[in-house]
Amino acid sequence: MAATDYAIEFRDISKSFGSVAANKNINLNLKKGEILALLGENGSGKTTLMNMLSGIYTPDSGSIFVDGKKVVISSPDDAGKLGIGMVHQHFKLIEKFTAADNIWIGKKGSGLVLKKDRYKQIEQIASKFGFELDPYKVVANMSVSEKQTLEIIKVLCYGAKVIILDEPTAVLTVQETKKLFDVCRKMKESGHSIIIITHKLNEVMEISDRVAVLRKGEYIDTVESATTSELKLTELMVGRKVDLKIERAVMEKTKPLLEVRDLSVNSDEGSLAVDNMSFYIRGGEILGVAGIAGSGQKELCEAITGLRKVNSGKIVHKGVNLVGKSAKKISAAGIAMSFIPEDRLGMGLAPSLSVSDNIILKDYSDTKGIFVDRKKAKQEATDIVKMLEIATPSIETPVRRLSGGNVQKVLLGREIKANPNVLITAYPVRGLDINSSYMIYNILNEQKKKGVGILFIGEDLDVMLALCDKIMVMCHGKLQGVVHADRTTKEQIGLMMTGAISLAEVGGKKAGIAKDSAFTEEEWEEATDMSEGSNET
Amino acid sequence: MRLKIIRRKETRIVNVILLYVIGIAVSFVLGGIFLSSLGINPVVYYRDMLTIGLIGNYYPAKSIEGLLKLFVPLLITSLALSLAFKMKFWNIGGEGEFITGAIFASWVAFKLGDSMPRIVVILLMCIAAFISAGLIGFITAHLKVKFNTNETLVTLMLNYIMLYVIKYIGETKADWNFFLRTDSERPVFARFPENAVMQGITIGNFKLLYSVLASIAIAVIVYFYLKRTKQGYEIAVVGDSVNTARYAGMNVYKITVRTIFLSAALIGLAGAFAAATSGTISTDITNNVGWTGVIVAWLSRLSVPVIGVVSLLISVLQYGCQAASASYSQIDHNFADLMQGLFMFSILAAGFFSHFKIVRTGGKNDD
Repeated sequence: MAATDYAIEFRDISKSFGSVAANKNINLNLKKGEILALLGENGSGKTTLMNMLSGIYTPDSGSIFVDGKKVVISSPDDAGKLGIGMVHQHFKLIEKFTAADNIWIGKKGSGLVLKKDRYKQIEQIASKFGFELDPYKVVANMSVSEKQTLEIIKVLCYGAKVIILDEPTAVLTVQETKKLFDVCRKMKESGHSIIIITHKLNEVMEISDRVAVLRKGEYIDTVESATTSELKLTELMVGRKVDLKIERAVMEKTKPLLEVRDLSVNSDEGSLAVDNMSFYIRGGEILGVAGIAGSGQKELCEAITGLRKVNSGKIVHKGVNLVGKSAKKISAAGIAMSFIPEDRLGMGLAPSLSVSDNIILKDYSDTKGIFVDRKKAKQEATDIVKMLEIATPSIETPVRRLSGGNVQKVLLGREIKANPNVLITAYPVRGLDINSSYMIYNILNEQKKKGVGILFIGEDLDVMLALCDKIMVMCHGKLQGVVHADRTTKEQIGLMMTGAISLAEVGGKKAGIAKDSAFTEEEWEEATDMSEGSNET
Repeated sequence: MRLKIIRRKETRIVNVILLYVIGIAVSFVLGGIFLSSLGINPVVYYRDMLTIGLIGNYYPAKSIEGLLKLFVPLLITSLALSLAFKMKFWNIGGEGEFITGAIFASWVAFKLGDSMPRIVVILLMCIAAFISAGLIGFITAHLKVKFNTNETLVTLMLNYIMLYVIKYIGETKADWNFFLRTDSERPVFARFPENAVMQGITIGNFKLLYSVLASIAIAVIVYFYLKRTKQGYEIAVVGDSVNTARYAGMNVYKITVRTIFLSAALIGLAGAFAAATSGTISTDITNNVGWTGVIVAWLSRLSVPVIGVVSLLISVLQYGCQAASASYSQIDHNFADLMQGLFMFSILAAGFFSHFKIVRTGGKNDD
């Protein structure tokens, strides 16, 4: 009986890439009908291990048991036959096909003929587990959450009994995450086993039965979720005690430093990305920007820093309208931006160039003559590396060789070096592990204490609630409202992100919700006066 | 069992050298088999090839001059292409730009060669070639930045356009066509007036052409341009990430257009040198440097000193193959091309394996 208690067993699994051991003697098991969370920092080997289960990699040594039987999984096909299905972070869907056709095309034994009943079949499976999915909908028109749902249904349709979810909540709002977890529980009830890869501790505690922890390629332990705590899990994950508190320094209120009024900006495709937004940042304040990915955050950042054309509206900084000014002039005025897009190195850094060459990116042309002043660059780079404790072999190392946290530090270091008074930072901890993330929060807090106004575009609402003074919520480019971080809840922000509630038009009259709004009439007036006054002079 | 190509995690210099040695050895052995099958002693042939026919030659200076005639255009073209490649602008229009430069240099040569002093004529030829070819580069860069056209296609097509332009000039007997000899019934390119022919410093019976000195100077300038100047820095940033360049406040249009103008203009200059050196033009004046230059630039990983070395080695290979094949009746210049191809292929393969390796994957149940 003991042998069949487990849906999956890993025994002494090792896998190396070159000289790097991604997995070392991993022993791990998944019980039938349980939800197992696989926890670990970046580079701890979670994804490698799961890729071996789904047949993308084959282990160097060790063996995998499915239902107590030793198996060799050498392709995703093999994994499928064994009832193992993986939902990847990056969806593998055909954009122009409907939901049903996406499932049909990969289904074994579905034949060559498109039968009409395929829509019905999929609808049935979806409703069985409580999914909401329109089988006629084309993938291109789906939201991220819908696409994920489709991926899960696809895996279920192909007969998977073991389902691996790779960081499924990274792209979801609070409400969508809840829905996903409900579905997970339903799947569990019907006898499916689920492995969920994540590094969000609160979600681990909420959804999983047990938690397996990996650290630097090694298996550490599996603990019962009910008897553990977030702090304990962090210690297992990091290997030592970590203070999970993010400090929020309280600063004296100063006058607004940067004010944005009725701003409208187009996206690359020409549609309206930022729709008539107004907000402001004070010195010594962190203003968080919450919103589902692609709600206009990128366009907003680019508009403020002069990288994108502004359709209408004003951006007033210290009494000067920045609209129409070049990126260089805006940067010279003390507005710095560290923007980390999805591919991290795409904007703000030149990945193949050295650390020191990246440090001088914005001021290389300030010196006289035709030559680049590399002496000064080296000095500055050495200073920044020292100040922020950047782990790099040398300042001549190309930044793409650095780890994610150090890349972020190089970027932030350069922006801070220029002594900005407004710092715009987007997803500064994306993909970073706990240690590096806290290092970044500290850097931001130090800037805040120096009186810098910070616009923090974030993803993790827990972090934003702890770090930011105020949180501004965007939905489809529209401002949904600004709330005080210490007087709001994750649920409220989540609802604002999806557009379910809007506090943008509330003038302090509606009770309950309105109290959280930062926009009192006086503040509005004050902001208007300032920006208009400055335009006249 | 299956085979899979994976990227090497680290490249050790010893391994890299070993790989190149193996690659070259393989091509020597393969070439040796060909040669033996034709009844030629490979050892003698290779000796002649590697010494570019200097041994037993009554005019060794002529061999060196011949070698340099191949080397100069290849060096300048490879350097120029590396400027564009550094910016990830795939200028494969070297052939067309070279021809453009040669045509406009000849224009000046024929029109002004008789009426002006030598130094002025040569300088004007260089300027005409520089600007005309540079404009071709400007057009492709402008189209690329403004309309996002594919520069590979545009430069490739311009190659054919310029090739047919020079063919048209070379094959059309007409009153306007001052490029052709007037005393010939058949269309034949005329020789330049004496003042339009490249001169040099005479050392014994060896003539060191000024174009050789100029090409070395260009190499030094390009080296410092890329390494030390702000414009060189801008090229590196734009090549790495256009978004980052914009974010840093760089004018990407200006940088792209300026760099590609320079890249094409230098290739045009190489065309002018080639025309002035041979004292005439021909439809095969490029000697394929537009293509060989691409290989040189990549083999050298866009490093200027390495480009110098590789251009020289490839010139030795080309000239040596020609020189060696000249003394055997069984083979002609086509065989020299074949040998050259064999070597290039081996070197490229060695370059590939210094970055990638082939590993076996899969378990027992694999087929």
